[in-house]
Amino acid sequence: MALKIRKRDEPWKWGALVIFLGALLFSLGVSCLLLAGQGKDALHGMFILWEGSFGNLWALEGALLKAIPLFLCSLGVAVAFRMQIWNIGAEGQFALGAIGATWMALSFPGLPWYGLMPLMFAMAFLLGGAWAFIPAVLKLKLRVNEIISTLMLNYIAILLLDYLVFGVWKDPTSFGFPMTPEFTSGAVIAGIGSSRVHWGLLFCAVVGVGLWAFMRFTRLGFELKASGEGARVARYAKIRYGLLTMFVMGLSGGFAGWAGCIETSAVLNRLQPSLMVGYGYTAIVVAWLARLEPLNIAFGAFLLAALRVGVENLQLELQIPAAFGVIMEGMILLTVLAGQFFLTYRIERAPREGGE
Amino acid sequence: MSELRYVRPARVRPLPEGAVPVVRLKEVTKRFGKVVANNAITLDIHSGRIKALLGENGAGKSTLMSMLAGRYKPDSGTMEVDGRPVRFESSKDAIAAGIGMVYQNFMLVDSMTVAENVLLGQEGGFFINPGEMEARVDALATEYGLAVDVSARISDLSMGERQLVEILKLLYRKSRILIFDEPTAVLTPEETNRLFEALWRMTEQGKSVIFISHKLEEVIALADEIAILRRGRIEGELDPTAIESKAELASRMVGKEVLLEVDRQPVEVGEPVLEIKGMTGLGLTDVNLEVRQGEIVAVVGVAGNGQKELVEAVTGLVKPPVDTVFIMGQPWRKFFAESTWNRSMCYIPEDRLGLATMRNQNLVDNLLLTTRKGFARGMWLDKRRAERDTEELIRKYDIRPGRIHALAWQLSGGNLQKAVLARELYRQPRFIVAEQPTQGLDVSATEEVWRRLLDARAMAGVLLVTGDLGEALQLADRIAVMYRGRILGMLPTSEAETASRIGPLMAGVLD
Repeated sequence: MALKIRKRDEPWKWGALVIFLGALLFSLGVSCLLLAGQGKDALHGMFILWEGSFGNLWALEGALLKAIPLFLCSLGVAVAFRMQIWNIGAEGQFALGAIGATWMALSFPGLPWYGLMPLMFAMAFLLGGAWAFIPAVLKLKLRVNEIISTLMLNYIAILLLDYLVFGVWKDPTSFGFPMTPEFTSGAVIAGIGSSRVHWGLLFCAVVGVGLWAFMRFTRLGFELKASGEGARVARYAKIRYGLLTMFVMGLSGGFAGWAGCIETSAVLNRLQPSLMVGYGYTAIVVAWLARLEPLNIAFGAFLLAALRVGVENLQLELQIPAAFGVIMEGMILLTVLAGQFFLTYRIERAPREGGE
Repeated sequence: MSELRYVRPARVRPLPEGAVPVVRLKEVTKRFGKVVANNAITLDIHSGRIKALLGENGAGKSTLMSMLAGRYKPDSGTMEVDGRPVRFESSKDAIAAGIGMVYQNFMLVDSMTVAENVLLGQEGGFFINPGEMEARVDALATEYGLAVDVSARISDLSMGERQLVEILKLLYRKSRILIFDEPTAVLTPEETNRLFEALWRMTEQGKSVIFISHKLEEVIALADEIAILRRGRIEGELDPTAIESKAELASRMVGKEVLLEVDRQPVEVGEPVLEIKGMTGLGLTDVNLEVRQGEIVAVVGVAGNGQKELVEAVTGLVKPPVDTVFIMGQPWRKFFAESTWNRSMCYIPEDRLGLATMRNQNLVDNLLLTTRKGFARGMWLDKRRAERDTEELIRKYDIRPGRIHALAWQLSGGNLQKAVLARELYRQPRFIVAEQPTQGLDVSATEEVWRRLLDARAMAGVLLVTGDLGEALQLADRIAVMYRGRILGMLPTSEAETASRIGPLMAGVLD
């Protein structure tokens, strides 16, 4: 039996969903093989993974908690991607946001939350945005590829954060550990009720809806979408492409900055190097999986956050290397992207000539 | 209307009784989803003859020929070559059967020579002697009278010469049936004439030629037989010598009376909307041009003689030298700094899908692309009003499919151009730059575009950049001929000898 590839005449209606689920199953299957290869019981491993991510309230809370920074970073990345500007520097912009928030928290420890929070969020947005602004200006003025510059700035940002917590901001009572003093209560985002999940979740919802409305209903949002077709179309339509590039990068970096602010304030309650766990990179995966749509990003962020929590559980129970989670994440992205092939093509059986 | 530009050689060769066709299509049907592209088509191709397939855009010409060339497979019906039924799995099979096709987009390696391109992918030894290679291809070119330098690189060749290379490729592969898909779209009149001569010579040597076109005068001048396709069916086959007028042919092609001549009533001329004063730079030399409200000024010339640079400088895609371009009485810089979305300049570019529209967005968003300032209320966009206006424009201009949520790439060339035109005229422009506005459009769409441009003179002046002389003569009041970045002549269309003076000027010959 011979197989043939043929282009689809009409789009495949439920294609995107089928491909996503199929890719997920495929990735889980390969993960099973990897587990088996390590001499572990693969099915038991999958059960532990499920238990660890969705199996109980504690796990679900953990996933939601991790989904918050992931969602904000991913939203920022998606805005830039919409305009075909490849900002892969969410990680660094996240770090700058955390630094900005900490700066405010340490400078005005006496303020009540309603005075301090706006300062922290504003400074986080400002610094995160400014960090993304640098590649934007470099791109426009010197034609520096933003993929390279945003990536490089990530390393500088992380080193800057290290410098601060190892040096000027180090808590004198921390027995030499690299961390700032704990934030005062005005600088900490409180939990919702008695759960571990904090009010940052509500903030995410507001930002998500706000961005969706901005993209859909405002002139600037429209111009942004139009610029995604390329600089030439933008020039044809008399859109100020350069200005928009800077705006979009600022916004993108600002969102990542907010994520850094929330994570520092609500989860760690201080600045320390363990803040940087790669949300900014996972955000790129989420944005692509979600095809840059805000609502999909919410789902995608939750899914990958749950995966992270689940893999942590797996790591503890089965003594799996830490890289396992990263491998799964990468595999899901690759299989989903490769699966896009089936949206435009179909595989069918080629009729044999011999039958006549 | 301009006279026929192509002289038909005196050769009436009636088909001998009982001649066996080399290719015979029987009841061939092809569907794409719900659309029937070809409906039970029966067609005979004879050796030594040129068969023209005439039809509007979307009539199914290209689909039919793609099946013959092995790119698609028919859903039903049979194809016979030399009386034997064939089934092509790929274009390889078709080539093996002696069928070759020259597509609109040439498939050549720019950095290689003519001879190398012809021999590319051919059987033979691993090492090839360049001298022998060129000698072989040169012999082939001489045999068919194709004048092309076989040692030249493709990147140095004109479009017409590149086409000859494509033909050489087919001849080298011993193709007996050569299919040409709109071959003259990229050619100058001179090159078109040369192509026709080459085609006649090839048929004299026993080759069959299938010529896909929607240009009536070319088909009448060239073909031995004409088959008219309409909406996926063969509308009729006729003998070109028996055709009385182009209008008759056109009406059979579109199924209703179409006058290819438009009635151009003079309009009172008003203020200048474009002035170019002694512009030198950007590849242009001392260009002077004036367009006034109420007139159409055409710019013609062989492609690549500065028309593109002129358009880019005028429309704001590149910056012209200071104080050379004045639009609506204002210097270029000031005009673009202060220009409003309406009652200003609009630009209908040649590249409809890549520049004038966003291919993956719907018609409402594409309407907003240049009119968004008109729908802005503060920072918000009034999308509901935009949807209403889009619906109205779709109705007014008969844009199909008539849904506002259709994406730009889903529209056919003619409908997309109508959509662009609808949008740009919605802006009530005072100055219109139209670049190849009817390229690739069928007769009825062309007529519609022409009529709209003529009507637009009531409010605007039009700069028409076109490669179609007929279009320039039909629409324009004056024609500027460009050659190597200069305007060699400015001819009024009211004078009878203008048509004959353009050709030499395009070639750079001043009398």
